[in-house]
Amino acid sequence: MMLVLRVLTTQPLHGYAIAQRIHQLSREELSVEEGSLYPALQKLLVKGWVKAAWRESDSGRQVREYRITASGRRQLETEMAKYRRTATAIGWLLEES
Amino acid sequence: MSTIGEWIRRLNFLIRRRALEDELRCEMEAHRAQMGDPRAFGNTLRLREEARDAWGWVWLDDMVQDTRFALRTLRHSPGFALTAIVTLALGIGGNSAMFSFVNGLLLKPLYDGADKVISVYGRSTTASPDYRGMSYPNYLDLRDGTTEIFANLAAVATAFVGLDAGEGARRTLASGVTANYFQIFGQPLALGRSFAPDEEKADARVAIVSFPVWEQRGSGASALGQTIRVNGELFTVIGVTAKGFTGTAIPGPDVWLPLAVHDALNTAEHVSRLGARGEHALDVLGRLRDGIPVERVAPALATVARRLEQAYPAVNAGYTLAMRTPSRLLFLAGPGSGAMTATFTALLMIMPAIVLLVACLNLADLLLARGHVRRQELGIRSSLGGGRWRLTRQLLTEGLVLALAGGALGLWLSTWAIETLIASLRSVLPVAVTLPRVELDWRVLIGTVVFSLVATLVFGGWPAWTLSGRAVVTDIKRHGGEERHRPGGTRIGNALVIGQVALSLLLLTSAGLFVMSATSAATADPGFRLDRGVLAEIDPSLAGYDEARGRQLQRTLVDRLRSVAGVEAVTIASSFPFSGFNDSRNVAPAGVSAAAPSIDSVFSVVGRDYARTLGLSLLQGRDFNDAELSPGVGERVALIDDALAQRLSPKESALGSLIHFLDGQASEAGQPMRIIGVITAVKHSLGNPRPFPHVYVPLGQHYEADMTLQLRVTAKGAERAMLGTVGRMIREVDDRVPVLRLEEWREHLDSSLEVWLYRVGARVCSAFGAIALLLAVIGVFGVKSYVVSRRTREFGIRIVSGAHPRALLWQVLREGGRVTIVGIGIGLLLALGAGQLLQGFLYGVDAVEPVVLLAAPLILFAASLLASFIPALRATKVDPTVALRSE
Repeated sequence: MMLVLRVLTTQPLHGYAIAQRIHQLSREELSVEEGSLYPALQKLLVKGWVKAAWRESDSGRQVREYRITASGRRQLETEMAKYRRTATAIGWLLEES
Repeated sequence: MSTIGEWIRRLNFLIRRRALEDELRCEMEAHRAQMGDPRAFGNTLRLREEARDAWGWVWLDDMVQDTRFALRTLRHSPGFALTAIVTLALGIGGNSAMFSFVNGLLLKPLYDGADKVISVYGRSTTASPDYRGMSYPNYLDLRDGTTEIFANLAAVATAFVGLDAGEGARRTLASGVTANYFQIFGQPLALGRSFAPDEEKADARVAIVSFPVWEQRGSGASALGQTIRVNGELFTVIGVTAKGFTGTAIPGPDVWLPLAVHDALNTAEHVSRLGARGEHALDVLGRLRDGIPVERVAPALATVARRLEQAYPAVNAGYTLAMRTPSRLLFLAGPGSGAMTATFTALLMIMPAIVLLVACLNLADLLLARGHVRRQELGIRSSLGGGRWRLTRQLLTEGLVLALAGGALGLWLSTWAIETLIASLRSVLPVAVTLPRVELDWRVLIGTVVFSLVATLVFGGWPAWTLSGRAVVTDIKRHGGEERHRPGGTRIGNALVIGQVALSLLLLTSAGLFVMSATSAATADPGFRLDRGVLAEIDPSLAGYDEARGRQLQRTLVDRLRSVAGVEAVTIASSFPFSGFNDSRNVAPAGVSAAAPSIDSVFSVVGRDYARTLGLSLLQGRDFNDAELSPGVGERVALIDDALAQRLSPKESALGSLIHFLDGQASEAGQPMRIIGVITAVKHSLGNPRPFPHVYVPLGQHYEADMTLQLRVTAKGAERAMLGTVGRMIREVDDRVPVLRLEEWREHLDSSLEVWLYRVGARVCSAFGAIALLLAVIGVFGVKSYVVSRRTREFGIRIVSGAHPRALLWQVLREGGRVTIVGIGIGLLLALGAGQLLQGFLYGVDAVEPVVLLAAPLILFAASLLASFIPALRATKVDPTVALRSE
């Protein structure tokens, strides 16, 4: 969920684009399964962290675009902070041994 | 963490579910189309469902689905569904009806803050019975001496009056009250004002009427200021009580009058006796001040009582003041009526409770049997991926649907039952009275529904749980599994049936006892001949007659009736046996030391030929003569019955000796009377096994306005016609005189309150007994059917191997009979115990009544045999090929 929020900070995206974007940004290391993407998006909608709107895509197709909300940004910051702390801690642990 | 915003969004998802689901589908389609390899997207349906889970409404969807499914399955087995629903409805309906009735009439406080209201009465420290009311002067002293304790201390007296509110006089109850009486109740008036302090003692012709009276008059605000007639005198209506208001007791009066006027109306001289310190006619009620604990009342009362005793030893010596909770039933004024109410309540509630228990056992049976039958279906569903919890929930939903349907039907049943009970109660009360509103008690209804729900869940859910967890393969294959599990299931089923049979027998025998006692009450020998008798009750004072004119009217009517052809004997008396209300006096031998015990006796004013008309024998002495029957100054005389004679002088004849009354009107108390005759005793009520003592005084000695003309016709079957003649004759003399009662003696006894009580007892018990029997039969049928269906294969094999169908039939019947007999054995023990408890409520029936103890088990046994006959017959019809193919 943090990843989805993160890719939405720069611009609104539709489902497929979100998956693509995560794939790109992670330098093709991560790929998001559709099976977890859509439940995650629905959960974000319920939480009010993203908003969705229908739009015509560049290829002329109706797509649903997700846009991050203010409370979504706050949530992302909290989660990022938490993640950094955890990552640093894990880093320390691994280097020690 | 759920915020309000999140809930609103969730709700939005729920409401716009359809549209959103479509959006999700479109979105996923778009996604798939953009992918290089669409097949990599996976199962869209599954993905959609998973995404939808995030909305948090899956449980609701499942529930709706479960409910739909449950309704569908129940529709497929209407027999089962109907049985279960009716079973539940009977249990729930019976309970909530009975409890609402008992609660409304006997338990629920009649007014707000009833716990703060107490009643004060005079208690003798020496005499017995020790209860006495209070006189007005004593009440005033008490009121003024306890202002720190009571916020309000009011006095009330209730009596019968003739009320004419525009459609002819009828007899009803009227209460005379002090001005502060209504303040005890908070807000008891729907309209108008209550009495002013200066109206309490004055001859103020103002009245407050009950809500029903107001409704009869067309229920407008204009009712205020209109006039009504009470005992022929005009009163102005100044107020209307709130709906359902009855004062502190039931039945409630229809009219309230200021104390002094009320008192004057109810004395022969029409003069108030309020000033007399020796007239202890008032009930005193007080509301405690806020914050005053009830413990402070007794010392305060003791102080006042001591003061009263010192100041007025003539009337107050030997009396103290005591308190108690106000009596709930108007005519049980004495202390200790609470215990009776409690016993009655318990008795009325036990039966429906047992029926509910039987109903639940029955339901358990049904669900258990059904659970086993549906094993294969459950097996298949669980092998197709139905989770154990999901399957269990499905079965629970089915139970829930049944319980709710049963509850709804039960609600309807109980509303109907309450109306029937109240209507039947009204029809038997001797006067028009106000009863508190009896409404269906929602708490009870919900309580019973929850109870049956729990029962459904336990009995329906438990087999579901065990079944859904079992190795499914064996169930699908329908292999030996059934053989292995059968004994357990059958054993539980049998235990349930035994319980049902036992409880049903308990109810059946109780019903039997009540039916027998109702029959013997109705055919009881009242001590006089009931046949060929007609009675007519009239009260000329209700039409404004005074004593002189009243006597004249009574004489005229008796004389005229005596000359009617076909009349064998006529008399007039102030009471008739089984009328419900009797005047009584404490009788003691006169001229003997004061220590002689007094005998509480029924008191009647009678005319000539009383004994002859009722068919009582004159054992000794003579009847009253003309001089004694008209007012005069001669020697006072009395007739007594042999019950009183026995107690007055067990060894020698009481004839010719002197007696006097210790109470009663001032003009007669203490006056010696000579006993001029002894007649045979009559029963005045069914409750007493021994005849109650009676004392009769002649018309001349005492005027009573409310009298009953009693006559015996010469020819059998002429009673009907005579009723018309008597009614016509009274109307001819004066059509304003209300005829309060006009009926045959037989009818009179049949419609008396006591016989009614036994009848209702019998009817209610029979109804519950019949329900229990029906339920037991259903239970036996259900379990037997189940057992037979489980053993189809066994029976098939046995038929193939040459077993005679009759042998199979007998086997099934034998097995069923065994279970029933065990149940009957247990039930008989219960019934014997119950008989002992019921003893006090039975009339002319022993607790161990062989007829009942023989008949009830036989009926039950026959019924259960019949119930297992159909399944047994089915066992013999098993088609071996079908039975074996199912393997």
